[in-house]
Amino acid sequence: MDLRFLPQLPLTLSYPLLFGVLLVAGMLGGEAARALRLPRVVGYVLVGFAIAPIASAINIGPLLDEARIFVDIGLGLVLFDLGRRMDIAWLKRDWTLAASGIAESLLTFALVFAALSWLDVAPLAAGIAAAIAMATSPAVVLLIAQDTRSEGQVTERALTLVALNSLLASVVVTMLTASVHYEVRLDLDTAVLHPLYLFAGSLALGGLTARVARLLARQLERSPELHFTLLAGLILAAVGIAQAVKLSVILALLAFGMFARNDRNRHDLVNVDLGRASRLFYIVLFVITGASLPLSSFETAGWAALAFIGARAAGKFLGVVAIAPLGGMRWRQSVALGAALLPMSALALLLLHDVTRLHPAFGGEIAAIVIAGVIVMEIAGPLATQWALRFAGEAAPPPDPLAATRPPVARPVEPPRPAEPPKPAETKDA
Amino acid sequence: MPLEFKTSEALTFGVELELMVLNTRDYNLARGAPDLLARLAKAQLPSEVKPEITESMIEVNSTVHRRFSELRDELVRTRDGIVEAAGRLNLAVSGGGSHPFHQWSDRRIFPTERFLKVSALYGYLAKQFTVFGQHIHIGVESGDDAVYLTHRMARYIPHFIALSASSPFYQGEDTSFETSRLHAVSAFPLAGHLPEVASWDEFNRYFDEMAGYGIVASMKDFYWDIRPKPEYGTMEIRIGDTPLTVQGAAELAAYAQTLAADLLRERRTDPIAPHYLVYGYNRFQACRFGFEAMLADPGAHTHIRLREDLMATLLRLQRIGEELGTTDALRAIGERADRELNDSRWLRERFMETRNLSDVVRLQAERWRDDPPRAPAQAEAARLRAAK
Repeated sequence: MDLRFLPQLPLTLSYPLLFGVLLVAGMLGGEAARALRLPRVVGYVLVGFAIAPIASAINIGPLLDEARIFVDIGLGLVLFDLGRRMDIAWLKRDWTLAASGIAESLLTFALVFAALSWLDVAPLAAGIAAAIAMATSPAVVLLIAQDTRSEGQVTERALTLVALNSLLASVVVTMLTASVHYEVRLDLDTAVLHPLYLFAGSLALGGLTARVARLLARQLERSPELHFTLLAGLILAAVGIAQAVKLSVILALLAFGMFARNDRNRHDLVNVDLGRASRLFYIVLFVITGASLPLSSFETAGWAALAFIGARAAGKFLGVVAIAPLGGMRWRQSVALGAALLPMSALALLLLHDVTRLHPAFGGEIAAIVIAGVIVMEIAGPLATQWALRFAGEAAPPPDPLAATRPPVARPVEPPRPAEPPKPAETKDA
Repeated sequence: MPLEFKTSEALTFGVELELMVLNTRDYNLARGAPDLLARLAKAQLPSEVKPEITESMIEVNSTVHRRFSELRDELVRTRDGIVEAAGRLNLAVSGGGSHPFHQWSDRRIFPTERFLKVSALYGYLAKQFTVFGQHIHIGVESGDDAVYLTHRMARYIPHFIALSASSPFYQGEDTSFETSRLHAVSAFPLAGHLPEVASWDEFNRYFDEMAGYGIVASMKDFYWDIRPKPEYGTMEIRIGDTPLTVQGAAELAAYAQTLAADLLRERRTDPIAPHYLVYGYNRFQACRFGFEAMLADPGAHTHIRLREDLMATLLRLQRIGEELGTTDALRAIGERADRELNDSRWLRERFMETRNLSDVVRLQAERWRDDPPRAPAQAEAARLRAAK
């Protein structure tokens, strides 16, 4: 009898299985977090933390590393969505918005750079870590705004600032790769040409994809479903092309989103909500991100990690609070806006990855610092953002079905009387 | 305690306009009113801007005017100020009677004491009430005049419906109505019209009785299409959708002013009861069919097409319009009726072109912003600022 129709041991694990398991596990973790009144994102990440040791125990660690493709797709969706939030016309109409973005990015860079230099981190490494620190996690802010059904100036401005600082961070990191090349004694031509290729190439790819999107969109009916399919397809394709031609997925997709939105009032593309479909990838993105964070980084990085986290938080917060009030934001809104920018996640890791993969030897020192920072901000960041959106009064109030059934306060039957003597202030019972 | 009617100069007039606050991504309603109002509080606008029941609405209250052209100029300047402030917050503002695709459950009640009370009492009706109307106030010298004018204006309510209609879409679909907004109003238990009282004293007895039952506390609790407004000394017409342009809003106010002048001069005495018998039917006809509505005419026992009735009325008002300076407004209204060009038609045409309601709202907001163009003074100031 030929038993070859039965599966052979050991079983081969596959991407679909991995994706499915991570997705369901992440979702369950998210709901558990929500039951504890924590942001779902925290649950996704904690599931990742828990999966990492299990994965290495049953020897699927490598597969998890290979699952980068999901990370890239997830980030591609996030960055496209973020790029679409970058409304150049708004930045022109309200200069304080762009100014607070630039202020918080530069201040973050300066403070982190200073703190790390003070701790004797080499200037170039400190610079790259500082550049990575500028970026706020777009996925975290987008997801929390979605989950809390948050709406208002703080939410809108936070997302615009995230788009700005993500862009600045990836541009600065790209430029600093030139110095990395130089540091490891590659010839000068490469040191200059590579960042240039990354920068110009990624922008061109983003612009080109947006152009194709608009051309195709003009042939289509303007239904959200069709435009959703079109955009989803082109986002995936752009991620694939960026990888194939060794460009920056971050810059290319940010640029795609930006060019799709700012098309000089042509409005070819319907502003579709990527919502539910992209959440599938977001969940897996966070679980994998959690799983890829070695908790040992903390020991390696030591005090530098704390300095990194503290300086970054101070930079973001002070930068925003200094400028935002000039644009008419109330202090409460400014504080919330500063706090909303704290999360750090996959984008920082991808930026780090882009640098370290060039010259693995170089990356060791900053990797530990950045990863330790990401570990802390994966948990603290979502909490800060959720708090901020509630503090600003922009998160939707939690539903209270019982309140609706309670009869309203008795209505005054008589017309208002002349002013009554003020009541004594209520004293609290001891 | 009787409601005191504050006298005002006859035929002075003003408007309230409820406006949509929109995001500029997909032009859904946005929760922008609190920030927009905070910003406008510092701006020097000729009109007052106030919150409304949900945080996606603002309300413009004009000052009191005698002439149509003054009212229009004020509204243009106010609009420019609002548009500029909204732009800095990346919000758009527009006219129109209802938002074509928003979900009422996404709306949030503007947290003032009164609105929270209304919301607690009326449940989902309060959020559903995120619709946008134009209220026209006409000054009268006495409460008796206000009662008289309220009754007599009832016959012309279909005209205002057809002329202002700008809410053909609701919850993402074409309703086949010229205005769908009025259904949100009709749901309230105290909607309808003034009871058949003949004088202000008689009205006060009715009000006291209702107040005695604990049903109402002030005039605000009556959601009538037309009502006396004792605090302002006016008769208030509340039937219209907010037009897509301030020009349209000012023209409608001018039509109401001219009509009121005519009615106050004529002092009609035919019985009012028959007008209220056909009121609900005619109101529906106008909502559904606009200028093509067939109105029951209780005097003549026939049906008459709304457009023809409107044209005949405009003809009658010609002379009095010249006295009041409303000739241009009346001519524009006549043209609109003649060419069947109300705002609902315009919105449907935009939908035919774009096949997308987000685009329709975007174009609607652009029209609100640009038509009529910026006030010269404002444009001048902007040029000076730019030159600096």
